[in-house]
Amino acid sequence: MTVHTRHGDASDGVLADAVGGRLSRVDGPAKITGAAKYAVEQQLDGLAHAVLVESTIASGKVRSIDTTEARAARGVLQVLTPDTIISLRTASDWLGTPPPDKPYCPLARDITFSGQHVAAIVAETFEQAVAAAALVKVSYDETPAIVDLSDGKAGDGIPIDAMTKEWGDAHAAFASAPVRVCAAYNTPREYQAPMEPHGLIARWEGDHLTVWEPSQWLDGMARTYAEWFGVPFENVRLVSPYIGGGFGSKALALGHGAVAASAAKMLGRPVRLVMTRPQTFTGYGGRAATRQTVALGADHDGRIQSIVHRGVNETSMDGMWVEPLGSVTSIMYATPNFSSKQNVVRVNLVVPGAMRAPGENPSAFGIESAIDELAHEVGIDPLEIRLRNYAEQDPHAKKAWSTRQLREAFAAGAERFGWARRTPEPRSMRDGNQLIGWGVAAGTYPVRRAYGEAIVRILADSSVEVESSSIDMGQGTYTILAQTAAETVGVPANSVVVKLGDSRFPRAGVTGGSRLAGVMTGAVYKAATSALDQLVGLAISDPRSPFHALQANTLVVANGRIASPRGDGPDLSIAELLNSIGRDHIEATGDTMPANSTAQDRYKNYTTIAMALPHTEGDYSRHSWCAHFIEVRVDEDFGTVRVSRVVSALDSGRLYNPKLAESQWKGGIIMGIGQALLEEGIVDRRHGRIVNNNLADYLVPTNADIPDIEVISVGIPDLHSSVLGGKGVGELAIVGVAPAIANAVFHATGKRVRDLPITLEKLI
Amino acid sequence: MTKTTIPVHLDINGHHHALEIEPRVTLLDALRDRLGLTGTKKGCDHGQCGACTVHVDGERVLACLTLAAQAQGRAITTIEGLAREGELHPVQAAFLEQDAFQCGYCTSGQIMSAVACIREGHAGSDDEIREYMAGNLCRCGAYPHIVAAVRQAALEVAS
Repeated sequence: MTVHTRHGDASDGVLADAVGGRLSRVDGPAKITGAAKYAVEQQLDGLAHAVLVESTIASGKVRSIDTTEARAARGVLQVLTPDTIISLRTASDWLGTPPPDKPYCPLARDITFSGQHVAAIVAETFEQAVAAAALVKVSYDETPAIVDLSDGKAGDGIPIDAMTKEWGDAHAAFASAPVRVCAAYNTPREYQAPMEPHGLIARWEGDHLTVWEPSQWLDGMARTYAEWFGVPFENVRLVSPYIGGGFGSKALALGHGAVAASAAKMLGRPVRLVMTRPQTFTGYGGRAATRQTVALGADHDGRIQSIVHRGVNETSMDGMWVEPLGSVTSIMYATPNFSSKQNVVRVNLVVPGAMRAPGENPSAFGIESAIDELAHEVGIDPLEIRLRNYAEQDPHAKKAWSTRQLREAFAAGAERFGWARRTPEPRSMRDGNQLIGWGVAAGTYPVRRAYGEAIVRILADSSVEVESSSIDMGQGTYTILAQTAAETVGVPANSVVVKLGDSRFPRAGVTGGSRLAGVMTGAVYKAATSALDQLVGLAISDPRSPFHALQANTLVVANGRIASPRGDGPDLSIAELLNSIGRDHIEATGDTMPANSTAQDRYKNYTTIAMALPHTEGDYSRHSWCAHFIEVRVDEDFGTVRVSRVVSALDSGRLYNPKLAESQWKGGIIMGIGQALLEEGIVDRRHGRIVNNNLADYLVPTNADIPDIEVISVGIPDLHSSVLGGKGVGELAIVGVAPAIANAVFHATGKRVRDLPITLEKLI
Repeated sequence: MTKTTIPVHLDINGHHHALEIEPRVTLLDALRDRLGLTGTKKGCDHGQCGACTVHVDGERVLACLTLAAQAQGRAITTIEGLAREGELHPVQAAFLEQDAFQCGYCTSGQIMSAVACIREGHAGSDDEIREYMAGNLCRCGAYPHIVAAVRQAALEVAS
């Protein structure tokens, strides 16, 4: 077990440079000096600036767009409307489903949500474009909108049969259970709100398109641009050197990208388009609002006999988003009877999208609140009831867990938090006028696996270069790939240069679902092993090599030097060896694709998500796990809730870099605190608008909202999950935070809040 | 056509820059779009997130809510001007050591705020640091490490 220590730089005795070491971010110096150039910060000659105009109604048709004044405004180069923008082709979806053969227009005539792109201005300067955009006059024929799930017109929605999970006879077992709890749990619209707004620079050279755009998936987005514009995939280059946060929102090419690339093509100049902060609330989807009911039937000892779960999430009028609400419900606890079904309901909003742990996050809010209610009902400690219902295997897939250190997480977290000192009754712990509550909840996220490829080059100056079209949005890809190459080749990490974020590099699938680290460390490990084999092979076999006469079977490379393992013979730097055999570099490509993969397989793997491996493939069910222990202080008079202490124990398998993994875990926990107490997209019911579409009114946690947070790693290497034994880090830690806080609030106040966020009016 | 631009002279990181810009150009856009000083970030353009924090005459200022023309004749320091002769400012070094950032997009603003926070004498305790750093949002959630970095740097600056 690795206990986080703030100032320690060693972990498990591992050198900082090696996999598992606490190496500081290798991209850190560029970020702390302002030298890191993010995508839209490229300085290009002749750059023109685009600004979007968006719909002010939620449903209806654009009757007319008067651009007279805008066109006459100073500096304006172009006014794009549905009538003037070039026609594009519809692109396939992220599964690679062939698209319908019809044109695609990123500027709308038919309005299905407020904030839809209807026009764009391109001008010489940003200021001119902003001013001219305000002069565009759009008139509409408005029709009644369905504003959200609670709208009387919304209905029950569309059943999603693929979400149905059932075994035993859940309804009968619930009806006959001695103890029954049943409640509804709701989560509102939530927004990723990365600090870097979405935007891009698009530049055409002939029929070749270069797009500088923050991206969680260069190859997937390049495919979409290629299909929109009817050019070969190879003609599109995506560049995304640093990404200012994504949290799921930067994986797909979106309408604003189509507008900017169209403008650049029409104008024959590079065009930059960056969404305003308010536009980021409607230019792409946040987390869908959800509704769940969870019914637990149990015996008097709190052993679950049946779980009946129903879920609903909102989606858009013309797009489909399913937030899998039964994902945690179906695996967290052992139960002989289970039923989960889900509907989606169409409302007038932008199609929702992925936000940190889509599915697992709201799912855990339901089941982890419900089991706390059951614990109270039967009078059993909330931690004890979780252990009593511990799932020894995957209850749904009926397969063994690859690894599940959840029992260890409960034990380590409880010990560190001091859980044994908790008094069970609500309102029984107090400090002056503050009611103190202690809550616990578990979380989980599946191990998503896919394939990636990388090039490793050993250069004549003893340095090593790694290239991959994968990305680093703060998870630490630059750093862990440097550590992987350094350890595998046998050089110091500071002589490894990792190059990411260019679709010309060897390809990678989407950075999402916590899959990238496992995929790419595997690919770099293979490429580096292959490069090392070549290096040693040449050192032994090349007649010009000083090692040739040694007739050794093998050689060792360590700290950038190559020598015989017996210690006899020469001891050379890699540079000296390569120089002696007349080579300026050695290069190897490595990938984790199955050996017989065709070029078509590879294209499909890197540009769609169709080839991702199920987490229950083969004999095992693979998941990361965590347990959160949280203290809240509730002001008895005002109902304000402050999180005062967090201890979380997490099983992400082997950590490639604990320093960076701890940062991601804490970040997930903090986003979970925001979800529990602050974050809610508020809908203006008259106009179907998000009214708090900015960072002052959509409240994300500030520094003053967050206490110190302690995280404990309880993971062990899981070689069923990845080449080097890691599971997932980034998505995991947010899962279970909101129910842990809701449970703590119940313990503090005796009030059960089942609608997030837990704001003061729900407590007084 | 009538002239719509004005001459603006800016003193940034000890260097003089002469610009001919519209009066409505913000200091933030002047830095990023006219001078290539993109270390200062645009997160909201409304003074809500703190990503654009720079120093004007030594005080922290939101560059998105400051017109470039307002900064004429005043000493502007951006993240690019913080390190001296290649040596990191103690706050920068502490941010790296404490892993006080992930995506890096809020980091310039956090560091500029932290330098001022220490100079103002508002880094006396963890709670004080949290309060006086609360104007700089970090969606990656690096807050506990930011507090640790500011605490560490405050001690180094004092010694």
